Amino acid sequence: MHRRLGVLLGLVVLAVLALLLPQFGGDYYVHIFALVFTNVILAASLRPSLTCGQLNIGHSAFMSIGAYTSALLAKNLAVPFEISLLGGALLATAVGWAIGYPSLRLRGVYFAMVTVAFVEVIRLIAQLWVPLTRGMSGLSGIPKPSVLGMTLSTRTGQYYLALVLMLATLLVLWKLEHSRLGLIWRSIGMADHLAQSLGVNIARHKLLAFMLGCFFAGIAGGFYAHFIRFLFPPEFGFLMATNILVYNYVGGRGHFVGPIVGAVFLSLLSEPFRGSPYETIFFSIAMLLTILFLPGGLITLPRKLAELRWWRTASAPTPSPAA
Amino acid sequence: MSLLEARNLTRLFGGLAAVNHVDLSVDEGEIVGLIGPNGAGKTTCFNLLSGFLRPTLGSIVLAGEDITGLRPHQIASRGLIRTFQLTTLFQEMTALENVLLGLHLHSDKGPRRVLFGRRAFPADEIARGREVLEFTGLVSHADQLTRNLPHGHQRVLGIAMALAARPRLLMLDEPVTGMNLDESGRVMELVKTIRGRGTTILLVEHNMRAVMGTCERIVVLNFGQKLAEGTPAEVSTSPDVIQAYLGTGVNHA
Repeated sequence: MHRRLGVLLGLVVLAVLALLLPQFGGDYYVHIFALVFTNVILAASLRPSLTCGQLNIGHSAFMSIGAYTSALLAKNLAVPFEISLLGGALLATAVGWAIGYPSLRLRGVYFAMVTVAFVEVIRLIAQLWVPLTRGMSGLSGIPKPSVLGMTLSTRTGQYYLALVLMLATLLVLWKLEHSRLGLIWRSIGMADHLAQSLGVNIARHKLLAFMLGCFFAGIAGGFYAHFIRFLFPPEFGFLMATNILVYNYVGGRGHFVGPIVGAVFLSLLSEPFRGSPYETIFFSIAMLLTILFLPGGLITLPRKLAELRWWRTASAPTPSPAA
Repeated sequence: MSLLEARNLTRLFGGLAAVNHVDLSVDEGEIVGLIGPNGAGKTTCFNLLSGFLRPTLGSIVLAGEDITGLRPHQIASRGLIRTFQLTTLFQEMTALENVLLGLHLHSDKGPRRVLFGRRAFPADEIARGREVLEFTGLVSHADQLTRNLPHGHQRVLGIAMALAARPRLLMLDEPVTGMNLDESGRVMELVKTIRGRGTTILLVEHNMRAVMGTCERIVVLNFGQKLAEGTPAEVSTSPDVIQAYLGTGVNHA
């Protein structure tokens, strides 16, 4: 009961901070945090598939599909934002089905290789299909997001949109993970043979978890497109895909909040290096340090510290009862 | 009437016939033992029947339906549930969660339940899970992580999960390996009780003593072929079986 209260209090504080940020932070922070929220969506949406034991190093490809689809629908066909966003996410899901159906029966590193190849294929399509995507000149002139016909022209408005999208995503993913589906995903990740022998259709559930991730990556991409309003193919390359994976590992695989903590922590900390070669070095070091010192991720840090403190007091010389 | 009927079951691994023209039938309500020396093809046989391997030749019929070539989850959904050798369990889950997974085939997985259910699992599924743990004597360990359970309990948990799936035919792969006499005796009692509740059982076992005391009928495999079949008494006195297990005495040469 105590714990529940603590968690609730923490959530309330976080919610108030998130709501008030535009009041006391400048446009810079509002901009940064909207991107952080996008990263949270990406990181959290990879989790179901990771829980199934599928190493997906190509998640940014689905963000790219969502981004380009939504941008082109809105720009060329004047489709309203809500519908173009959904359209991008649905196309990402459909492509996820087409990729996942044949390749999800591959395990471990073989599946990972397919996803790596795929992210490059998508990048090359975006780069080479010049008439549609403008290729390496980049796609610009994407309309700002709008809700129910109202254009969100200020950074603050767009920030709140990102917040809502993130919360909705997290709510759905949380709900699914804490249902029987979550148990099934974990069972496939731990011992897929045993899951099968109990009647779990592992191919179907792996595909479902994968497509779920693709959908929300598409949502993140759609928002990103209308927020930055400029799309450049290499942005959604292999590097971003590995970053999404690193968020999960650095944050911690053991709990739902892992990828959220990882995405927030790493996106904020890497902000000074964004776009520079140091970004890669930063992410590599973060990953390395985690593997070496916190294999359970940042979320296990409090427990580790508590253990350390306990060990210190326990091993301190106790005064002898005679004294 | 026979519940499981395998005919001419054959599986080749390259040039090696791991299972070679084996006929096997299990009647409703029986406890059948499948025994044989190491490498006789017992586990391959198990994998063929449960769909983890495809037979090179032969057919498998479960309750009148041809299940040859179906995938493992499809076979499981038709009531044939198997356990694995050693401790193949969901180690990072609690005992109760393991059993809840066993309930997979009989659980509510609809979108309404999954997205809008107030609790992760409906009360009746939790109750059924605890009932299975109660029956197998593990209920006091319900919320313990599986990897922290002692070996004997882990083996029983494997059986509990299979039971939760409500099998018509339960196939146990070496359920008492690595157990002491006392523990294996208790597991064999459990197996008899399960049969008493109307579940048919096919048992692969290395431990002759455990099989002899429990099974009504025994099939002996050697080098992938059926060597003998009959009651424990018939099988244990068959010269072929004694020779397969103990080898030929020097004097006979």
